Amino acid sequence: MTQFLQQLTNGLSIGSVYALMAVGYSLVYSIMNFSNFAHGGVIMLGAYFGFFGLTTFKLPFAAAFALATAGTALVAIVVERVAYKPLRDRKAPFLYFIISAMGASMFLENFVIATIGPNPKPYPPIIPREPIALGDLALGRLDLIMFIVSAACLTLLVLFIDRTRLGKAIQASAYNMKASALMGINTDSVVILVFALGGFLAGVAGVLYGMKYMVYPTIGAITLKSFIAAVFGGLGSLPGAVLGSVLLGVIETLVAGYLSSQYRDLIAFVILIGVLIVRPTGIMGKAVEDKA
Amino acid sequence: MNFRKAAFVVLAIALVLAGCGGKQKADTIKVGWFGALTGDQAVWGENEFNTVKMLFEEYNAKGGIEVGGKKYMLEAIGYDNKGDAQEAVNVTNRLVSQDKVVAILGPNASGNAIPIASTLEQAKVPDIATVATNPKVTVQDGKVKPYNFRVCFIDPYQGAVAAGYAFDKLGAKKAAVLYDVSDDYSQGLTEFFVKSFEGKGGKIVAKEGFTAGDKDFRAQLSKIKAAAPDVIFMPYFFTEVALSATQARELGITATFMGGDGWPSPDLFKLGGKAVEGGIFVNHLDYDQPTVQDYKARYKAKYGKETELNGYLVHDAVLMLVDGLQRAGKVDGEALAKAFESTDIQGITGRIKISPTTHNPEGKDAAIIKIVDGQYKFLENYAAQ
Repeated sequence: MTQFLQQLTNGLSIGSVYALMAVGYSLVYSIMNFSNFAHGGVIMLGAYFGFFGLTTFKLPFAAAFALATAGTALVAIVVERVAYKPLRDRKAPFLYFIISAMGASMFLENFVIATIGPNPKPYPPIIPREPIALGDLALGRLDLIMFIVSAACLTLLVLFIDRTRLGKAIQASAYNMKASALMGINTDSVVILVFALGGFLAGVAGVLYGMKYMVYPTIGAITLKSFIAAVFGGLGSLPGAVLGSVLLGVIETLVAGYLSSQYRDLIAFVILIGVLIVRPTGIMGKAVEDKA
Repeated sequence: MNFRKAAFVVLAIALVLAGCGGKQKADTIKVGWFGALTGDQAVWGENEFNTVKMLFEEYNAKGGIEVGGKKYMLEAIGYDNKGDAQEAVNVTNRLVSQDKVVAILGPNASGNAIPIASTLEQAKVPDIATVATNPKVTVQDGKVKPYNFRVCFIDPYQGAVAAGYAFDKLGAKKAAVLYDVSDDYSQGLTEFFVKSFEGKGGKIVAKEGFTAGDKDFRAQLSKIKAAAPDVIFMPYFFTEVALSATQARELGITATFMGGDGWPSPDLFKLGGKAVEGGIFVNHLDYDQPTVQDYKARYKAKYGKETELNGYLVHDAVLMLVDGLQRAGKVDGEALAKAFESTDIQGITGRIKISPTTHNPEGKDAAIIKIVDGQYKFLENYAAQ
């Protein structure tokens, strides 16, 4: 039983990281209808911003965190302006957006390899590594913090989208961009806002990921899993992204813990494909009107 | 190309010219060497060739070596293969056909040592590789390559050393293994560790895998924790070692961590911090072990800088060559290869007893190193039985 609870805890902790990353994909998808693969690169930059804030500039944690999230929000906007805006203006097909996104992702990754170097770097110890012991169950302090921060960020995001005028503008644009523009919504600003929000979340995810593991230029590879989790939960639906991520994290850990770690990805993805065959829009993906 | 590299190229050309000059001195034994003198690996190549030249000078200063009742001087002919496999074959051809060397020392890299086998076989010239640790350097498809030898132990042997040390010296009865299923090196070490640990009467209580690129090992580690091992063998590289060690300690695992030569790196402490404290790993040798101090000092005195790992092993390759020549009793590649098969000498890196079926030094001493206060501490030399 302890073993099961321990594995469940591990799975929830991994799932909460996926969730923070997956929501960024879903947010952009709901507005732009394409998968923003540059998101992984932005998360990676967030991890580096936080790292340099803490080590090179010796900032207190809160300041480094603010720097990282502001930095990634800015980078996300720049990526939108440089890589997507020209395509949007020319009404390019969505395939071109995806290619452009992959290009941006590779650029960010290789830019970091060329300027900072490929070697992984550790975050300075901020939170003690000793676990909180509950009987035989070991709860990582960092895991708890990650879980709480993820939940808080996601709740705030949902409140923002549901309760504010800007949130309503995002919802309207997600429903129909053209009609929203005709109703007087500045859809260009909405796109910037969405990328800023996605970038902010990328910063949070990057810093937390860096603290939990380490910082390296190919963090983007792990975000591929969170993208898959977003599809699984229903791309375009925020609660779906969260649910998909947590489920993926838990399934992965239980498969690795009870069957075999070699079969982890194999079985996890067979389940995902099975779900998509039954529900092609993912668990919580519905018709267009419920996006965002 | 900096001055030093340029100097080596000039030297190499000069040596070629000397070799082609036709002025064959009857009392000289020509020995080839090749490795990288330019490129990424130049520092190791330079270190090896410097060591060979230094040792040959020392032998010659004492009047040379006696083979079959006759005194010979030793002459080293070195070429730069730039660390390239194709170029390795080219320079081997040049050494055996133009320079007519009796044996070749080096190269250091497995990837350069593997492709030269057929050239050596045709010319009947034996080669002693230095730090080429891939099993395929001397044995391919279960068959030993007749002219390829080496002075280092093969990668997977480290697994046997770690298992022996854990059982006999640490008193561990239950061991767990976490390994990278997508990596040959990690699989080889695991296989030897498991076989050896079970052979001694120990029990492998968990054997868990991961794939390259994984950063989270908690699912596997939780399973290992439930099996309560005394030691956990981690045969992979320092980045994953640091991550898995940290996560294991976070889960409250108190077992001793053990590993192989994928561990040592200045980054291990930066990444792993307190979690890798007390970890024990196996390496080819330790720069602080007593047997290497004399050579280390001689090298420093002659070249004004520290020797690298390669230097220690090429040192023993030279010892093996001289011993082989003396026992062969004549300057002939075929006779020399035969003599190499029964090599049993004490090198500075350990006892080198060549097995005729694998051409590897069997049961060679390894260095056992422990991490104490963020430093590598040499514990002892230990060989797997």
